[in-house]
Amino acid sequence: MEGSKSSMRRELKFLFAIWKANLQSAMEYHIAFIAQILGMMLNNAFYFLFWVIFFERFKEIRGWGLNDMFLVFGVTATSFGVTAFLFGNAFSLSDVIAQGRLDYYLSMPRPVLLHAVSARSIPSGMGDIIYGITSYLLSGYFSWGGLGRFVVGVILASTAFAAFLIIAHSLTFWLGNAAALARLLMNAILTFALYPITLFNGPAKFLLFTIVPAALMGSVPASLVRELTWQNLGGLFLGAAVLLGLAIVVFRLGLRRYESGSAIQVEV
Amino acid sequence: MKKYWAIFKTQVVNSLAYPGEIIWRSMAILLFLWVFTFLWRVAFDTSAATTLSGLTLRDTLWYLMLAETIELSRPRFANTIAQSVKDGSIAYLLCKPYDFLLYQLSVNAGDTVFRLVLTFIFGGALIWGMVGAPPSPWGWPLTLIAFAAGWLINFCLTALIGLAAFVVEDVTPFTWIYQKLIFILGGMMIPLDFYPPWLQRISKALPFSYVMYGPARLFVSPDLERFTALLAGQLAWVAALGVLVSIAYRRGLRRLAINGG
Amino acid sequence: MTVIQISNLRKTFTTKRKAAGLGGSVRSIFRPQHQVVEAVRGISFDLGEGGRLGLIGPNGAGKSTTIKILTGILFPTEGEASVLGYVPWKERRQLAYHIGTVFGQRPQLWYHLPAIDTFQLFGKIYELEDKDVKQRISFLAEAFEIEDLLETPVRKLSLGQRMRCEIAASLIHRPKLLLLDEPSIGLDVVAKQRIRDTIRRMNEMENVSVLLTSHDAGDLEALCKRVIIINHGQIVYQDRVSNLKRRYLTTKEVGVRYARPIPKDFTMPDVNILKVGKYGVKLGFDTRQIPADVVLARLAESGDLVDITISDPSLEEVIAKIYQEVEGAKEAQA
Repeated sequence: MEGSKSSMRRELKFLFAIWKANLQSAMEYHIAFIAQILGMMLNNAFYFLFWVIFFERFKEIRGWGLNDMFLVFGVTATSFGVTAFLFGNAFSLSDVIAQGRLDYYLSMPRPVLLHAVSARSIPSGMGDIIYGITSYLLSGYFSWGGLGRFVVGVILASTAFAAFLIIAHSLTFWLGNAAALARLLMNAILTFALYPITLFNGPAKFLLFTIVPAALMGSVPASLVRELTWQNLGGLFLGAAVLLGLAIVVFRLGLRRYESGSAIQVEV
Repeated sequence: MKKYWAIFKTQVVNSLAYPGEIIWRSMAILLFLWVFTFLWRVAFDTSAATTLSGLTLRDTLWYLMLAETIELSRPRFANTIAQSVKDGSIAYLLCKPYDFLLYQLSVNAGDTVFRLVLTFIFGGALIWGMVGAPPSPWGWPLTLIAFAAGWLINFCLTALIGLAAFVVEDVTPFTWIYQKLIFILGGMMIPLDFYPPWLQRISKALPFSYVMYGPARLFVSPDLERFTALLAGQLAWVAALGVLVSIAYRRGLRRLAINGG
Repeated sequence: MTVIQISNLRKTFTTKRKAAGLGGSVRSIFRPQHQVVEAVRGISFDLGEGGRLGLIGPNGAGKSTTIKILTGILFPTEGEASVLGYVPWKERRQLAYHIGTVFGQRPQLWYHLPAIDTFQLFGKIYELEDKDVKQRISFLAEAFEIEDLLETPVRKLSLGQRMRCEIAASLIHRPKLLLLDEPSIGLDVVAKQRIRDTIRRMNEMENVSVLLTSHDAGDLEALCKRVIIINHGQIVYQDRVSNLKRRYLTTKEVGVRYARPIPKDFTMPDVNILKVGKYGVKLGFDTRQIPADVVLARLAESGDLVDITISDPSLEEVIAKIYQEVEGAKEAQA
C-alpha cells in the first residue's frame, strides 16, 4: 500500500488543476458569474420566506422551530453548493453518458468518474455556499466548535449527495437517457432534506434514510452541528461512505455497458 | 389564427415525443404533495382546529394540489427566448409570416396540455386517497377558465424575463427569482389566507397570486362572485402585461437593428 | 516492434427499437424490443512502430468502434488486442499515458479557455513537469503554426485552427501512438491539407505511429503508408497505399480542346470516348492496353490542340471499385 498515499496526492493535484480551469472558464464571463451567485442567494432567501411565514403562524412543529430550519437550510444549501461548484457535472451525467461524451474521460489516464464529475462547475453553487453559511450563522446555533462540526457535516453530506446523483444518473447505462428520472430523484432528496424530519415517521422515515437518503443531507448533519454524538458522526460517515462505495460500483458496472454513442440511444 | 391553431396542435403531439420525460416530470407532483400532506396534517394537529382561516385540512390539500399542478405544468421558456435573442435568431424569425410572440404562445400552450392533464390526474389521485373527494365539480369549468387566464399572465411575465436578454447577459437568475415569487407571493406553498393581513393585501395586489392563488382558491370554494372578481382582475393584468410585452419586444428589435445580431 | 496487434475483434451492440407514435412509445416501455447490431465482425491487423495506417470505409462500417476499443473506451465482445503491450480495456489508464487521441467530433479543448490553458491542464493530467510542458508547448506551437492562436479562447477559433490545436494538445505528453478518428471532418480543402502535413511531419520527426479513420480518401493518399478498407464491420481490402495506386490507378482520363470545331462522330481505336463537344473531347483509357504517348500523338494528329488535361480517377472511385469487386466475388461464391 506504499503507492496508495502518493497516488492519492497525485489525484488531488489533478483535481486542483481541473478546479482551477473551471474557475478560469467561469471568470471569462465574470458579470454572469456574479449575477448567478447573487441570484442564487436571493432565490434561496425567497424560498426560505415560506418557513418564516409558516412559523410565524404555527410557531413549532413537533419540537422544530424557525432556528432549526435556519440550521437545516444552512447545512443543505452549503452541501448542495459544494457539490454543484466542485462536481457540477454530476448533475448532467446522464447526458454525458447518453451522448457518448465519456469517451474523452476514458481516453485520459485519470479516474474516469472523478474526472467526469469534476469537469464542470456550476457557478451558482457558490451562491448556495455563501447563503448556506449565512443561514447557519443566523440560526442561533453558532459556536466555534459548531463551525468545525458544520464543516465536517457539509463535507460528508456533499459526498453523500454527489454519490446519490451519480447513482441516479448511472441508471442511464441501463435505461437509456435517464435525465428526467434522475432529476425527479434529485428533487426528492432536496425536498425531503429541507423539511423538518420530525414530520415523518414509520415507513416515510425509513425511506429518508435509505432509498432517498435525504436525512444524510439535512437532519443528520444538522444535529451533528447542534451536538457531537457518535451516533450523529458515525451514522453520517457510514452513510456517506456506503453511498460513495455504491456509486463507484454502480458506475463501474455501467461502464461495461457503455456504448459511446455508437448505438442509437432511445430516451426513456 | 388558423396557423397558430395548427402550431398548437403540432406541439401537443410533439410534446409526446419523449413520453418518459413527461411522465417522470408529472410524477414530481406526487413527491411534493406527499410532503405537504405530512406538513399540513401536523400543522392542523398542533393548532387543534378543524378550520384555519376558513379552510379545512381537506380544502388546504386540494388547494395545494391545484397550485402544484399549475406550477408544474407552467411553461418555462424564458431561456428559449433569451437564447434566440442572444444568437440573433429572433431577427431571422421576423421574415417568417407569423408573429413571434403568438408563435411562442401557441407552442407553449401545446406543451402545457399533456403536462396539465397528467399532473392533475397523478396529484388528484394521491390527494383523493389521502383526504377524500375533491370539491364540487360545478366549479371545475370556472377553475379551468381562471386557470387559462392565469396561464396568460404567466406567459407574459415569462416572456418579459426572456426578452430581458436584450439588456442583461444571463436571464437564469431572474427565472429562479420569478419562480420563488410565485411560490411565496403567488401562494403555491401556502394558501394566502394563512398570511398575516398586511402580507395578504400585498400578495393579492400583485400579478403572481392571479396565476396561482386565484384559480386554486376558486377550485376549493367555487362561487360565481369570486369567479367574476378574479377574472376581471386577471384580464386587467393580461391587458397591462400584454402591452408591456409587445413594447419590450418591439424596443428590443429596434435595438437589435441598430446594434446588429 | 508492433504497436498495435489485434486479432478477431468483435463488438455487438444491443439497441432498443421503438415503433412510431404514442402507441409504440407506450409499448416499448412495457415490452422493449431489442435488436443486435454487429458493429465489428472479426477484424485482425497490426501496426508497426512509426507506421501510418488508415482505416477507411463508409459511415457505420465499424471504424470508430475499432478505434474506441483500441483506446479502452469500449469493451469488445470478443477477440484480443494489444496496444503498446497493454490490453486496452483492462489497462486503460496505463495505456492512456502513452497514446494521444483526437476525436474529430468530440473536442477536448476547453471551449471558453484559450488553448494554452488546456495544454497546461493536460500537463497536469499527464503528470509532466511544468518546465517540460512549457518547452513542449513552444515546440508544438511552432510545428503546428499556432503561436498566434494560443492565447485566444477556443470558441473564437475557426474549425481548422481549432483542429490544429486539438492535435497539438494530444501530443503534449509525447505519445508513442496517435489515434485519430475523423480528424479532417468538416474542414475545407486547405485546412485539410495543413492538418495532413502536420501529422505527417510529427510522424517523421518523433516516430510516433499513427492510426486514423476517415471516410475521405484524400486523407489516405496524402498521409498513410498502409490502408485497410472496412465495410459492414469486416476488412475487405488491405495493402500499401502505393500498391493500391499501382493496382487500381491504371486508368487515365484525358480532355482536349481544339482551335477548330471537330466532327460529331469523332472516334479513336482502343479508347473509351466519354464525351464529345463542339470543340473538345473527353476520353478514358487503360495504360496496360494502350500507352499514353500513343493516345496523345493520335489526339494531336486530329487538329490544333489548344488545351489538354490528364487526370487519375479519384481514390474514391477506386474504393468504390474495390467494394464492387468484393461484392461481385461474394455473389459469384454464392
